[in-house]
Amino acid sequence: MGQSDLDGQIEKLRKCELISENEVKELCRKAREVLIEESNVQRVDAPVTICGDIHGQFYDLKELFKVGGDCPDTNYLFLGDFVDRGFYSVETFLLLLALKVRYPDRITLIRGNHESRQITQVYGFYDECLRKYGSVNVWRHCCEIFDYMSLSAIIENKIFCVHGGLSPVIGSLDQIRTIDRKQEVPHDGAMCDLLWSDPDDIEGWGISPRGAGYLFGGDIVAQFLQHNNLDLIARAHQLVMEGYKLMFNNTIVTVWSAPNYCYRCGNVAAILELDDKLNKNYKIFEAAPQDVRGLPAKKPAPDYFL
Amino acid sequence: MAFRTLTDEDLSIQDHAIRGTNEDAITSKLSAVNAGYIQDEYVKYFHKRPVKRSPLINRGSYVRNKGLDTLIIKFLEIEDGRKQIISLGAGFDTRYFNLKSSLRKFYKYFEIDFPEITAKKVAIIRKNKTLSEIIGDDARIGDTEIYGSDYCLISGDLRDFIEDLIPRLESNGFDRSLSTLFLSECVMIYMDPTNSNKIVEWIGTNLNMAMFIVYEQILPNDAFGSVMLQNLKYRNIELRGIHAYPDLESQKDRYLSRGWTHAEAIDMNEIYDLYIDPKEHVRISRLEMLDELEEWRLLASHYCIAWAYKVSNESQIVLYDSVKFENYKEKLPDHSIKITGD
Repeated sequence: MGQSDLDGQIEKLRKCELISENEVKELCRKAREVLIEESNVQRVDAPVTICGDIHGQFYDLKELFKVGGDCPDTNYLFLGDFVDRGFYSVETFLLLLALKVRYPDRITLIRGNHESRQITQVYGFYDECLRKYGSVNVWRHCCEIFDYMSLSAIIENKIFCVHGGLSPVIGSLDQIRTIDRKQEVPHDGAMCDLLWSDPDDIEGWGISPRGAGYLFGGDIVAQFLQHNNLDLIARAHQLVMEGYKLMFNNTIVTVWSAPNYCYRCGNVAAILELDDKLNKNYKIFEAAPQDVRGLPAKKPAPDYFL
Repeated sequence: MAFRTLTDEDLSIQDHAIRGTNEDAITSKLSAVNAGYIQDEYVKYFHKRPVKRSPLINRGSYVRNKGLDTLIIKFLEIEDGRKQIISLGAGFDTRYFNLKSSLRKFYKYFEIDFPEITAKKVAIIRKNKTLSEIIGDDARIGDTEIYGSDYCLISGDLRDFIEDLIPRLESNGFDRSLSTLFLSECVMIYMDPTNSNKIVEWIGTNLNMAMFIVYEQILPNDAFGSVMLQNLKYRNIELRGIHAYPDLESQKDRYLSRGWTHAEAIDMNEIYDLYIDPKEHVRISRLEMLDELEEWRLLASHYCIAWAYKVSNESQIVLYDSVKFENYKEKLPDHSIKITGD
């Protein structure tokens, strides 16, 4: 696959058009070569723009690029959960993956808890692949790629970025580096916790109501930052109505980038821009207007209790 | 937006959409039954094509059903003579069949809905012996109505409650002197408050012992609520009552200001967190992975169960006060078990 082929595919995907199953296969092969080289704690240089969950909301991702600038002009770090829930998980994930292959140093994708075989079979990506391609091959190719995605990132040695949060079995970044990540997200253990945990107003660790990962308090964050000589943890994973939320004296931030999540929640979204001095600028954006959204022919009706 | 009065055609589109909510409710219930949340062997007769709803909706259907059942059974257990239940806009609800087969005692169970819906319900009951046998051989079954010894299905429009429905309920055995429970599961919310309040007022004035249990939407004005109204409007469904009773306080006041003795209103988060047996939490969390916690909180905060009773005798208060939820949280030690880490 040459660069012009890839540019052509990016062009198509930017218009929310599908690429062929063979093209997906080839794209995933290329992506694997890039991702396999990445560390479990991938180093990222500032300036960079941090983005949270996208969840297949393709037209809202386009709003994000409008607000944050296009890739490769802007250097992006996406914190996972590209797929599930929205109507366009396939187009969303493939566009981000194609950008990754085309501009590997200008976009970093780390894994979220939805980048998993098990979760995508419940929350929509599996069904969407089957519906759009008539077979589950594309889903299989994508799931293989999920296994290669990095688990976290570190910006200028100061900001630790992860989809979910911390783990009681991880004290240092080096412990993350030793994880063998090339697998389906396990049900427990360090890798699972990084993708599933949530900060909470408790002391120490708590049982997560999600049934995976843990709750962790401000004291745990303080210890982790001090031990690893860090300033901040940036994570996603939890819907925040205001787009972002700082906790524990600004030592951890949740960034959420899916506006009007599931076309039902009414929330705004945010991205976090860091300049070369790591100064922070949060940019808020709203869902794409109905007329550009190009709703699927089948009436998209979010469920309520009636 | 320009002001425009609703034409007859608009109204019939809305009426049609609201009648369609019955389909939606039964689909959701069947999904929750098939996924193992709810036990109900009668729902399957009312919906042929099972649709899988998301874990979030399944959990919501479960909490709705569990919450309402808990209160209804407590009402039936009050020792205050024979009991009647009148289910307003009952749709394809299967509660009568479930109460009967679990040997709950009541004098009469009435269901009211539009004739388009009751006609279908009649047809389904006729076709399925399991259902008609529960109602009994002595039942007279018409095209849109059923008159059994303890079950009565009546077709009509709740907007004509006093003039049309009350006389017909009475001619079919409704007894004003008996303790009566009125149910509205997402029904009064579709009505203009002027019309629904006539029902609440009439009961409060004309019955000595009455109870009302309502399940419906609240909080129309926050971000989630306004998107909910928009999304429903897109499906031609208008929640006409929501602005009159937008929160838990106004839901209670709806009854208290109309002479009812006591009222309570709580949202679905409270029911799930406090009033569902922790053993059930564990059981349902194993049925499906639910990774929609924040969304669950949002959705559940926009639905409430409100209940109220009216009694004429002080001594009955203690009886009707027993219709409430059991707080499991109070009985437990700290629910969030802490683990130590370093």
